[in-house]
Amino acid sequence: MSTTPTSSIWRGTTLLAVAAVVLMPVILPSPTLATEILIFALAALASNLLLGYTGLLSFGQGVFFGAGSYCSALVMIHWHFGLFPALLVGILAGALTAFVIGALAIRRTGIYFVMLTLSFSQMAYFVAYTMSSVTGGDNGLLNVPRPPVSVLGFELLSLASPLVFYGFVALLFLAVFVAARRVIHSPFGSTLVAIRENENRASAVGYDTRQFKVLAFVLSGAITGLAGALYALLLNFVPLSNIELATSEHILIMTIIGGTGSLLGSLLGAGSIVLLGDVLSALWPRWPMLLGLALIAVVMFLRGGLWGGLLDLKNRLIRSPEPPQPDTRQKDAAQ
Amino acid sequence: MLNVYLFQVLNGLGLGMIYFLISVGLTIIFGLLNFVNFAHGAFFLLGSYLCYTVVTLTGNFWLSLFVAPLGVALLAWITEQVLIKRAYHLPHTFQILITLGMALIIREASIMIWGPIGKSVPTPAGLDGVFRLGSFAYPEYRLFMIVFAAVIGLLLWFLLERTRFGALVRAGSEDTETVSLLGTNIFKLFSLTFALGVGLAGVAGVLSAPIRGAHPFLGEEVLGIAFVVVVIGGMGSFTGALVGGLLVGLVQSLMTTIWPQGASLMIYGAMAAVIMLRPYGLFGRS
Repeated sequence: MSTTPTSSIWRGTTLLAVAAVVLMPVILPSPTLATEILIFALAALASNLLLGYTGLLSFGQGVFFGAGSYCSALVMIHWHFGLFPALLVGILAGALTAFVIGALAIRRTGIYFVMLTLSFSQMAYFVAYTMSSVTGGDNGLLNVPRPPVSVLGFELLSLASPLVFYGFVALLFLAVFVAARRVIHSPFGSTLVAIRENENRASAVGYDTRQFKVLAFVLSGAITGLAGALYALLLNFVPLSNIELATSEHILIMTIIGGTGSLLGSLLGAGSIVLLGDVLSALWPRWPMLLGLALIAVVMFLRGGLWGGLLDLKNRLIRSPEPPQPDTRQKDAAQ
Repeated sequence: MLNVYLFQVLNGLGLGMIYFLISVGLTIIFGLLNFVNFAHGAFFLLGSYLCYTVVTLTGNFWLSLFVAPLGVALLAWITEQVLIKRAYHLPHTFQILITLGMALIIREASIMIWGPIGKSVPTPAGLDGVFRLGSFAYPEYRLFMIVFAAVIGLLLWFLLERTRFGALVRAGSEDTETVSLLGTNIFKLFSLTFALGVGLAGVAGVLSAPIRGAHPFLGEEVLGIAFVVVVIGGMGSFTGALVGGLLVGLVQSLMTTIWPQGASLMIYGAMAAVIMLRPYGLFGRS
């Protein structure tokens, strides 16, 4: 069976993601750190679906993350939900908040849209802060359990060990990664890119662009909600900062520094920033200043982000015997 | 009972005038330069902190009311020369990200200089009394704040509507190229306008310091509120900033009497309502 170039790129990218996921706990000092990277990689990937593929710069990502954290933690604490139902609640909470914020914010476009996502993000923070009897307010939500993997009440696997929990998160990450690539290469994904490139044209061709944008929001919110729920499980705790604007900014910065429009870039961005934070936060608490500098530098000089930079470097070092043009022609001929 | 509401209405006017000063700066910059400044809240914060420093060093609030906004405007002018002017031609998304980076740098630098814990600024001497009218009493400083902000607003209106500089700014926001072809150094005009707009956030920061103090995360809060004002009133409109600012200030302040914890929440609720009923703002046309 012959494989088309698209599917081989497909496999290469996924293979790289699998390799990274397998290598991380070996190279990194602790599986907990590796887990944190994957959780934020999920969030960055979700933000990438909006920014990189649909062209929507959303400051609401922290809201979906926080909603996923709080809701999954609350149903585990108060109603003793198991692992998968709790994760599902986190996903639904992220999707629902994303639906509400997305549907309201896309009533305006351009900068007004971005401003609305930021203002709604502030609003969500005040909601969490005001409802302190539910969310724990400034103190956060304490004593979040980490239930075992169980099916129909039969306990299959305890996630208490950091390495086992890493494995669990890694499987979920890879599943989402593959699913996200499927979505991007589907007609739905192509429509999102068409909206990013020229919304008027996409709408003139007959697409209901609003509906597509809301769907992109819901998808992004669901993945971010999952990331938030996993983060609550990792920390056994939901800090108020999960829903702060700073979390939205962090997720966005990871996406952009890693490289917009490339899912591996999101993994790279989350990895480098979580690592940088881990190394620097003890030495120099003001390290986020570097993030500000890096963000400016990437926007001014390295639009493709770290991943784009790596690809450029690779292309410069290894001159492939076949230039890229014949490849695309072959693909067109095959189709 | 009536006095309680009068008290809150005055509080709302004061807050509203602060919001107006912040938003009108944001709006002027967007109007002429077509530039989105997400570091606006951070510059406001810097105004509050500079006020704190001047007041601690000299004990003179009046000096800080003069020096701090100038300092903020000067810093804005320098960043414009170094960075911002290279970003005017970029899409808004990139401008947002660049200024987001700036906001992060300013916030972290503020924490380095002034520490992570908030600072409070004493009510200026001479205005620490209470203004009385019959049975009604109101803090003098808050009255001064309303009047001062109104004077700044009038001066700004005069500057924009009645001077050559204002005419150039307005003409430039219509058609930059023509203004430049007619022999105006458009880049100088851009720098001055950016410094002016950011300086207004600095003034607002100083005025609010004796009431709210200075806290590292005030910048984000203020930015969120300025966006609410601008979404309601429309970007690039002086009147929109004034009406939007006052509306948000009054809603926030009147809600404090009914539901203190939810006052901040109601601002955003009001914004959501406007978006649902009039997606293009109170004055906007689609």
